[in-house]
Amino acid sequence: MATEQQEHLKIEQLRQHNADEIETIAGREKENLEGWIPTLASDAEVRDALEKAFDYRGDVTITRKDGSQVTGYLFDRRTGSSLTDSFVRVIPTNERVKVNVVYAEIAALAFTGRDNAAGKSFEAWVKKYWEKKVAGEKNIRIDPEKLD
Amino acid sequence: MAVPVSQAWTVASYVLTQKLKGRKRYPLVLMLEPLFRCNLACAGCGKIQYPAHILKQELTPEECFRAAEECGAPMVSIPGGEPLLHPQMPEIVAGLVARKKYVYMCTNALLLKEKLHLFKPSKYLSFSVHVDGQREHHDFSVCREGGYDIAMEGIRAAVAAGFRVTTNTTLFDGADPNSVRAHFDDLMAAGVESMMVSPGYTYDKAPDQNHFLGKAKSRRLFRAILSNRKKSWQFNTHPLFSEFLMGKQNFECTPWGMPTFSIFGWQKPCYLLQDGYADTFKELMEETAWENYGAKSGNPQCANCMVHSGHEASAVDYNFSSLKGFLVTARKYMFPSAYPDPDAQKLLNEWRPEHSGPLVQIQSNNAVNDELQEVSGD
Ligand code: SF4
Repeated sequence: MATEQQEHLKIEQLRQHNADEIETIAGREKENLEGWIPTLASDAEVRDALEKAFDYRGDVTITRKDGSQVTGYLFDRRTGSSLTDSFVRVIPTNERVKVNVVYAEIAALAFTGRDNAAGKSFEAWVKKYWEKKVAGEKNIRIDPEKLD
Repeated sequence: MAVPVSQAWTVASYVLTQKLKGRKRYPLVLMLEPLFRCNLACAGCGKIQYPAHILKQELTPEECFRAAEECGAPMVSIPGGEPLLHPQMPEIVAGLVARKKYVYMCTNALLLKEKLHLFKPSKYLSFSVHVDGQREHHDFSVCREGGYDIAMEGIRAAVAAGFRVTTNTTLFDGADPNSVRAHFDDLMAAGVESMMVSPGYTYDKAPDQNHFLGKAKSRRLFRAILSNRKKSWQFNTHPLFSEFLMGKQNFECTPWGMPTFSIFGWQKPCYLLQDGYADTFKELMEETAWENYGAKSGNPQCANCMVHSGHEASAVDYNFSSLKGFLVTARKYMFPSAYPDPDAQKLLNEWRPEHSGPLVQIQSNNAVNDELQEVSGD
């Protein structure tokens, strides 16, 4: 579930107008989370950071209180009433398994992987498209990134 | 609805059985996502933005079959990513067909022609080709010039080989209804069985965050597109869902109607919104807080949503929930309406492409506009 901060443009729009009357709905402002190392001093900070990690489209690195680490894609979180009954679920970078890490065991979190949703602005594509079109280029295209 | 009688019968008897068993929530279509990687990088797509190690993963055929059996829905839609990139896709499709599931294999068709020989025509299998509009509209929205020609070539090859072929068109702000109508003509001329058209959803991961249709504009656009329709056009969407898009019906979302299974598990709550994953279908159905979703819930993420995966099941549920619903729907199937609407025609005649949006830079097709000066419908 997106945080209120992430959805604030839409929430603001919905405060002013009835959803049925809106012509063009607001998107989301991109947060730059790549490289972020949140402070996890309070329970609220832990929950907020893990919610953002759930939303993040890159890998994260979790350091447990026993010093062990897991790096991978955080694809799910289950939030309970306390940090001991809440956990995240991670698919590690090199294995096809799902690893659970309890919130209370987490000493540190880092957004170590590249944000795969960032830097792909449509406006940039439109600009590039028109530059190429004007230059007479043919077969203008964006290809998916190579996976190897 | 242009689907074979056997499919309509299977779906109707399935829904009636669920109703007789007193099931309040039952799935209609399994959205099976066997992989997320794609050979396109479309502007509106939020599905492909994962790290490489996730994009390389795929469901095994056994995992796909288990999901289909767990869920029990009579229809299976296979989106992605691009399913044809999965090396075992023919095996997956054949296994689902053998289980008598009506399969819609969604594809951008870049690989369709070359992979066609790996599949066998069947009444249970339809290739659902994603074509977002006429040549320039499609090429622009998939960010690849030449994409349209390849897709249409794939459609023609599949039709010629005896496959059922349907299409799926997603519209964003700036869509030109006259061009969409001409696009329908092109698709029907290419021999497709039926078409689906739906508004895009405000994916928070979509590269374009500024061109999502709001509900008011969606309804106006779909009223312009779907009123005064031609007899030659065949749609595979429920007639009441099409009326919902045109603003003639109001449905709440039915997020459990089309559950999604992928390498992460069963997605909560719907195909579009990610709010965590359940490990089993039972867990998905029983432990999702369904009341938190849909426009009425006040969830801002659902406020704008009119998509097929959330609302078509509502139309189906409506027609099996009361005698009135059943009779209304039966009449619409027996006597399909062209939805004559002079105001909608006026909308079409006066529609000018907006030059602010990235998808509307394509020059309007005057020939198309001229042809539509009078209420159409043949
Ligand atoms: S309203 Fe749309 S986004 Fe919300 S749960 Fe329903 S289908 Fe999903």
